[in-house]
Amino acid sequence: MDDEAYRVTVAKDLEDLIPVFLRNRGKELDALRAALAAADFEQLRQLGHRMKGVGTSYGFNRVSTIGKGVEDGARSGDRASLEASIAEYGDYLSKVKIAYE
Amino acid sequence: MSALSDLASAGKLAPAQVEFRVLVVDDDPDMAAFLARLLGAEGMIADTVFDGETALERVAAAPPDLILLDVMLPGADGFTICEKLKGDPATAMIPIVLVTALEDQANRVRGIRAGGDDFLSKPVKREELLARVNTLRRLHETRRELEARRLAAEVQRKETLHRAFTRYVSPRLADRIIAELGDHDAPFRGAAQRVSVVALFADLRGFTRLTERTAVDEVVGLLNQYFGVITEAAYRHDGTIFGMAGDGLLVGFNVPFSQPDAAARAWKAARDMVESFSPVLAAWTARGRMATGVGIGVASGEAILGNIGSPHFMSHTIIGDAVNTAARLVRMAKPAEVLLAGPVYEAIRALIPAGAAQSLGDVALRGKTEPTPVFSVRL
Repeated sequence: MDDEAYRVTVAKDLEDLIPVFLRNRGKELDALRAALAAADFEQLRQLGHRMKGVGTSYGFNRVSTIGKGVEDGARSGDRASLEASIAEYGDYLSKVKIAYE
Repeated sequence: MSALSDLASAGKLAPAQVEFRVLVVDDDPDMAAFLARLLGAEGMIADTVFDGETALERVAAAPPDLILLDVMLPGADGFTICEKLKGDPATAMIPIVLVTALEDQANRVRGIRAGGDDFLSKPVKREELLARVNTLRRLHETRRELEARRLAAEVQRKETLHRAFTRYVSPRLADRIIAELGDHDAPFRGAAQRVSVVALFADLRGFTRLTERTAVDEVVGLLNQYFGVITEAAYRHDGTIFGMAGDGLLVGFNVPFSQPDAAARAWKAARDMVESFSPVLAAWTARGRMATGVGIGVASGEAILGNIGSPHFMSHTIIGDAVNTAARLVRMAKPAEVLLAGPVYEAIRALIPAGAAQSLGDVALRGKTEPTPVFSVRL
């Protein structure tokens, strides 16, 4: 994936909210991994739904896209798809670059 | 300015001067913080809570002007909270924007049924949020301004009514009638009540002879002077004026409001009437007018309080033995004399200076089978 896929532009007036936002995404990633390990698909669905709502609102469109993948995967019980989505999420969060304007 | 007028003025605040408070209900703290930040940037005051039950408590404690309510909440969901708020008359008028997933058509239908005023899609777009909230804000403020205007008009109407009424009935009776006006014509259809009263009749002795040799315009002026003085005296002692005919005035005590010291109030009002009228009388005498002063009769007993008359002309008054006795006594009273029926005298004798009262014995009053003990006090 090219660098562009990790670049995010966030509105300047949200800048002070972003550290907490990212911390919560990290906790979310841990929760996703735990739910997958426990095969708790309802928990996975709820986490995916939440990611879908909050990501794009802040400007992190890929968080929403991955969230939709998690939600769909949880609904269908597609373990492989969920594993891929969660791995993608971990990769994204570790490399995301934020610009404020 | 009266308290009512203050209230009316308060309703004229321009919408821009009024703060607009939004309650954001979302279990995702990031989403709640995001929504609050955007609203704050628009000059609104945003408060956040993370579940429905806390939202209900917050609304009860400090009703906001608008609620942004997430549908998916832990415990009671957004629809349930919306239904509760819209089902309570105290909160039904607060606009609610349900925040739900864009593609969720079934939830939107459910939201409409729950009473939601509008929807906001997740992910939330800044422009859409502000457009929807500002539209509801304008509607809300327009409604609030209309309500304030309606309230101001209502206050003004009541003040006008009060001013008009108090020209014809005592201020306390006017207050009571106006307070009951909300219940259509309740004051005018209430059943008559049997009440214990002290009735005071005042009459300007010799006034009839005066009118025979005075121009009509001048008679009205003199009567207004006289009534101005004695009605003020009646009100100073919380009497309620029930009738005014010719130069006679009927004042009731212990009615329509309880006055345990009704007899004392009637006595003080009688004395006040005679004393207050004294300078007016002196002026009339100096101008060569013949008028010999106020005579007063006071009696106590049962009476009927009610609206007497026809639907087209009605008088809220008292009738009965106490009123009849007071009317008979005032006809016997000389200028500056107060005639008291026995029970009234017994109730207030301690207030009368020693030797000032004189018993006239048991007097046969017209229309009464039993003689009435009567006492005279010359002022």
